[in-house]
Amino acid sequence: MSDVAERIIKVTSETLKVDPGRIKDEMRFVEDLGAESIQSVELVAAFEEEFDIEMDEEAALEVKTVGKAISFITKMLEAEG
Amino acid sequence: MANEIKYMALTESQIKVMQHQNCCAENWADVTVAENFNASNIVNSTFLGKVQIGSVDGKVPGAHGLAKPCGIYNATISNCTIGNGSRIANIGVHLANYNIGDNVAIGNIGTMHTNPGATFGNGVEVDVVNEAGGREVMIFDQLDVQMAYVMCLHRYRPKVINNLKAIVKEYTESKRSDRGTVGNGSIVYSVSDIIDINIGSCAVISGASSLFNGTILSEKDAPTLVGSAVIARNFIIAESSSVTSGAVLAHCFVGQGCQMGKQYSAENCLFFANCEAFHGEGCSAFCGPYSVTHHKSTLLIAALFSFYNAGSGSNQSNHMYKLGPVHEGKVLRGTKTGSFSYLMWPCRIGPFSVVLGKHSSTFDTADYPFSHLAARPDGKCSMVPGLHLTTVGTVRDGAKWPKRDRRKGSVKRDIISFDVFSPYTVGQMIRASASLKALSAATDKSVDEVSVGGAIVKRLILRTGQKYYKSGIHMYLLEKVVEKAEAALKNGTAVANFFATSGDAVFSEEWVDVGGQLMPQQRLIDLHNAIESGSVASVEAFAAATQKVADAYGDDEWAWAKNAYKAVFDVDLDNATQKEVAEIAQTYLKVKSKFLKLVVIDAEKEFAELSQCGFGLDGLQKDIADDFEGVRGTYEGNAFVKDMNATIADLKTRIEAFVETLSNA
Repeated sequence: MSDVAERIIKVTSETLKVDPGRIKDEMRFVEDLGAESIQSVELVAAFEEEFDIEMDEEAALEVKTVGKAISFITKMLEAEG
Repeated sequence: MANEIKYMALTESQIKVMQHQNCCAENWADVTVAENFNASNIVNSTFLGKVQIGSVDGKVPGAHGLAKPCGIYNATISNCTIGNGSRIANIGVHLANYNIGDNVAIGNIGTMHTNPGATFGNGVEVDVVNEAGGREVMIFDQLDVQMAYVMCLHRYRPKVINNLKAIVKEYTESKRSDRGTVGNGSIVYSVSDIIDINIGSCAVISGASSLFNGTILSEKDAPTLVGSAVIARNFIIAESSSVTSGAVLAHCFVGQGCQMGKQYSAENCLFFANCEAFHGEGCSAFCGPYSVTHHKSTLLIAALFSFYNAGSGSNQSNHMYKLGPVHEGKVLRGTKTGSFSYLMWPCRIGPFSVVLGKHSSTFDTADYPFSHLAARPDGKCSMVPGLHLTTVGTVRDGAKWPKRDRRKGSVKRDIISFDVFSPYTVGQMIRASASLKALSAATDKSVDEVSVGGAIVKRLILRTGQKYYKSGIHMYLLEKVVEKAEAALKNGTAVANFFATSGDAVFSEEWVDVGGQLMPQQRLIDLHNAIESGSVASVEAFAAATQKVADAYGDDEWAWAKNAYKAVFDVDLDNATQKEVAEIAQTYLKVKSKFLKLVVIDAEKEFAELSQCGFGLDGLQKDIADDFEGVRGTYEGNAFVKDMNATIADLKTRIEAFVETLSNA
């Protein structure tokens, strides 16, 4: 598991109060991990702080699974060098 | 009109006809009638004091629209003037001291009576915002929300308050009379008691229980309905409103275009333009324009509301008092309270916020518009600043209010600024953004949450709130600049003069919401000064002064936007080149399109899997989606979504055309 994936799972687990062992790539934040609308906002904020990035709101709303979050943030970090 | 009729003494034969029909008079010489008076339409009636009766030929529409013969039947009439073509029938006790217009139908009434020196609800003091008083508003039949707002809330200018009260007192004296009036074309039937009530033209008073000391304003193009089982005391009901089905009002003002009924009860409340109140209860509530409460168990108490939507069971109170209740709730425009939400006064909620849950601590989030305010299990308020900027509800509300203005007729008294984004809300966003930034910088990462005006904000969200507000601020300022440039270009103005401000514009960094009318704070101070100095000293002068402010809104708004643009973008628009204006337009297209797309994405949530919960009952898995589509339609086919997408496309076309025209200018 990549460093980015590990950190995303950690942040997701802490924000949504779910067991990190339960979190899988294909899981949807809302339907599978129970992220309510405010928690989704907090999750994006937590990702931004963890990786020191600013996620575009429109793009962030399209990130609906753990796996997509990993690839989205990985790409952002790569783009930033 | 009754006062234009030439009344003359009854002839002997007319008296004989009337006596033959079981009529009597205290003194027949005091009963005067119109020329060609048809005495055969006066039956079983008694006349006391001076009574003037117009023509009673023909029929007049009455209850349920059924036309019945004009005349007087089974009635005791005392000191009344009755116009042409009217019908008065079946008056149980008496009809006394009234001037009744033409084509009026009055029937099945217990008592209809005016006491000497009646003021018809004018001058009644209504204790709003604090149940125990201190912010009382004197109501009268020309009251507008702006005057009520100043009288209620600006107690820091005591001379202003005293002078406004003097205006109302003078007006009240002008309305004082020993005779009530019923305007032309009104229908009044099946009411037990009507005491000291003035009724305008073309009103329908149908089946009310008891009306005491009030005015029902009405006119042909803006008729007012007071319906069954209504009990109202010390009140004003304005044009094009309906108060029906068991509503109970005491010390209340109901403004133009309001709808009230289904046993709603209100005491010491003001309702201004287009309010709706059903089922619930109001107590000392100042309901500015478009305040809406539709459900049982909903209590609006001792607070200021406007453009407000109360979820079922919304409630507020203050049980912490020792010297009497001090409530002081200020729910700023556009806010919604969710089902069974509770707020503990004193409290101030920023505009266009959403309140959920039971809040048992007070807070002040006035400078944090569009916020999400949810109660935590410990009763403290948890805020997400700016969350509702791009939610579907906010955008829909902003579009629907102007379309739902029910006020008809010759005058719309309340001045209403409908703009969701304005110097008022955008100014708040600029201040909020700066506060969040400072707080974010000053808060260590080990801290989970911070207090903002008594509300709790998660530290992580401080940055998110700034992001939300930034998008709103940029969108508004860019929009104003583009609109200004478009108008200037259309008028053939040179680019160098595109962004000139009007010499009459008033600039204030802070804007205020005076009962639904937005204005620079300096305009309000000027209004205060004018009232204090006596240059605004009448109802008409006050209305003219606020109208003048309304007329200057565009100029004032631009003066503010230009100044804010410089502060936010560090760009002096007076030096903007053609190329820079085109770049601003392109940026605006990008920012506004993104904003609208976020709204569309928010709408998409309502079609998501979780939103389909409960659909397809008793069917197979595949039936869920079909059932949902049958009821809610499809995301792509949704009218709002289509409208938003069309708006985005139109915006692109508009900006491209502007840039093209600009390049050729």
